[in-house]
Amino acid sequence: MNSFLTVAALFVLTGALFALPLLPAVRELRRKSDASPLNVIQKHAGEIRYFADSFRTYLRPLEPLLRECARSGQKASGVMPDGTEYLVLGSGNEALALPFGDKDRLCPVLLASASDLTVSPDSAFTRDIYAQGRFVGGPNNQYRAVLADYEVHLGKGSRVMRWVHAGGELSVESHSKLHGRASSDFRIRLRPGCSFLRLNAPRIEFGTSPSEAPTPNFNVAPISSSPTLTRLLHEGDFEIPSGETFQGDLVVRGRLRIGSGAQVRGSVKSGKAMILDSGVRIEGSLISAAKLLIGPDCLIQGPVISEHELLIQTGTHCGTPHAPTTVSAPRIKIAGGVVAFGSVWARDHGEVLGSA
Amino acid sequence: MIYVLYIIVVLICVYTIRHYVFTLNRLFAYQRHPYIDIDIADWPPVTVLVAAHNEEKVIAHILDALLAAKYPADKMLIVPVNDRSTDRTREIIDDFVQRIPGRIRPFHRTRGKPGKAAALKDAMELVDTEVILIFDADYIPGAGIIKQLTAPFFDPEVGGVMGRVVPINVGANLLTRLLDLERAGGYQVDQQARMNLRLVPQHGGTVAGVRRSALREIGGWNENTLTEDTDLTYRLLLHGWKTVYQNRSECYEEVPETWSVRIRQIMRWAKGHNQAMVTYTLPLLFGNNRATPRERLDGALLLGVYIMGPITLLGWILALAVFYRGIAQFNGILALLSITAYAAIGNLAAFFEIAAAARLDGNAKRIRLLPFLVFGFTVSIFSVTHAAVSQVSGLLTKAEFHWDKTERFRKAAS
Repeated sequence: MNSFLTVAALFVLTGALFALPLLPAVRELRRKSDASPLNVIQKHAGEIRYFADSFRTYLRPLEPLLRECARSGQKASGVMPDGTEYLVLGSGNEALALPFGDKDRLCPVLLASASDLTVSPDSAFTRDIYAQGRFVGGPNNQYRAVLADYEVHLGKGSRVMRWVHAGGELSVESHSKLHGRASSDFRIRLRPGCSFLRLNAPRIEFGTSPSEAPTPNFNVAPISSSPTLTRLLHEGDFEIPSGETFQGDLVVRGRLRIGSGAQVRGSVKSGKAMILDSGVRIEGSLISAAKLLIGPDCLIQGPVISEHELLIQTGTHCGTPHAPTTVSAPRIKIAGGVVAFGSVWARDHGEVLGSA
Repeated sequence: MIYVLYIIVVLICVYTIRHYVFTLNRLFAYQRHPYIDIDIADWPPVTVLVAAHNEEKVIAHILDALLAAKYPADKMLIVPVNDRSTDRTREIIDDFVQRIPGRIRPFHRTRGKPGKAAALKDAMELVDTEVILIFDADYIPGAGIIKQLTAPFFDPEVGGVMGRVVPINVGANLLTRLLDLERAGGYQVDQQARMNLRLVPQHGGTVAGVRRSALREIGGWNENTLTEDTDLTYRLLLHGWKTVYQNRSECYEEVPETWSVRIRQIMRWAKGHNQAMVTYTLPLLFGNNRATPRERLDGALLLGVYIMGPITLLGWILALAVFYRGIAQFNGILALLSITAYAAIGNLAAFFEIAAAARLDGNAKRIRLLPFLVFGFTVSIFSVTHAAVSQVSGLLTKAEFHWDKTERFRKAAS
């Protein structure tokens, strides 16, 4: 082989070696198999009722059948366009007599009731459930998803794997687990021992004896229309003594303690743990980059955020009926008698304290 | 010469480690999204500033998108900041104002200093809300983004907020695909990791927000900078205000489709960033300010990202010189190896970030384009070097401040 060919071969081989890692890239560039923009949610804002609303839309083809079954009191079955089997009940009490009510039996069909629906205990429902009236579930049931136009009552030890939405009150008996979203257009009541992730309702009551006392009014202008408040930024730990009133926003880089009966007319942030003693009033938001412990009978008007763990003690109110808010933390423990207005989001685990 | 090279090697090693730390943090550590769950609150009034200069192709899209946003209509005012436009931008905005009264209050600027910061500064006369959100006119915000960007302001420590920018014209050509990957790495990994580690997420000046009282405290918009966003980030930081990043507050943007536009864009960013580096590095590191030690360190490193382009180039030149002149140990081979090792591992750290971002986004196939980023990287390194050199020569010759508007490629709204 002459020297020219050797050099040429070297160049070709070097070029090939260089081009080799580019081959999949060239192929992708020419064929564009993954060239669409990242899917960004444009149309909705992550509403908690999104799944419930989607399920309603999904059920639209069954509406004539639901009306028919309601009129006749009969049941009907069939297959949805996506292949899901359904059972439509004219009378919701029929569900009690169905064979899947047997212990450890599964209900593999979508269940839709034209009236109130009651299901027997110790059953697992692997498809979604819809009731045009109330829904009453027996103890130790497992649901995929439940939607009812009126009240939903879940028996002791129930489990909801995805979501539950009630047009009326959603009441959940003790030691139940709500793994996904739970929402109501009216009120949610969770008994002691229940665990949850995402709750949303105009009023959410925790424990056996939720406070029926009206939420005290701040009797001040809402935050949104207040003039700009001054801000105090404090390095290190800080304490607001009992009974004191702090005017403005407070940012503490260390630990923060707010004494009994103290009041903050603004928002509060701590870089480390924050403790609120009893009867504290916060007119703005309450934010901790670490643990947050809210004592009994406090009133927090704005959002409550902890980046680690949040413990709320009995009698505390978060938000007001007229200004609902969000409570959020990775782990939340809430004592009986706490009332929240709006959303309670436990990213990892939420728990209602107390014995049933 | 050899000692300069050693310093360069140390610097690039620091940046390499930084890239790896960010990527590993994003892949395996706890992810901070403290405000994203705030879906119900007594939402404060907000003003949405839309920066527009000759934006007839895109202005209608963003106004339509903002009008569809899920935020109490009586608490949201849209202010298109029409900065000396000579096309149909004014006409389109006025048409919206007429059709949808009460929602839009236009600010038509016909004279004054060029540049976004100068325009925003003038537009502040229309702003009377505590929360100000900012979008460039080529962005298409989703329905939930106004709430998402407003939510962090419930935290009294937050002065600025930044959302994630997502290219919409990804499939146009090789450049847009590379920019899509770069953006993914920059936001999905780099910004989120800085958020996780409580470092300095950067304010991007669009898909962003600022608290009015914080802005007032730091002296308002700085019209003497090419990158008002970087400038804002550091002034907020020095005054004890946090800028937070919301990775899930995603918003579509249009990225440049031609290399010339891209080069002008990155040169402007580099110049503005270097300007901030000169102004803020020493006060941040050694001044009496409210930044935490980790913020000081990360902030200083962030300020240096664009100057690392010319420094790396200089490193290559020095390594070759050292090798051929044989003036260092082992005839300079060690020095050359150091730089080569950086080329093999250090540069790849940024690529590693991008690959991780593509994986996190679930875009498995587009990772195949990763080798092409070498070309994008080469263009960038020479562009930012050119920017730095022209900046220094501009200082010497006292050249005029020049603002380059990024060209739009979208078809005009009908």
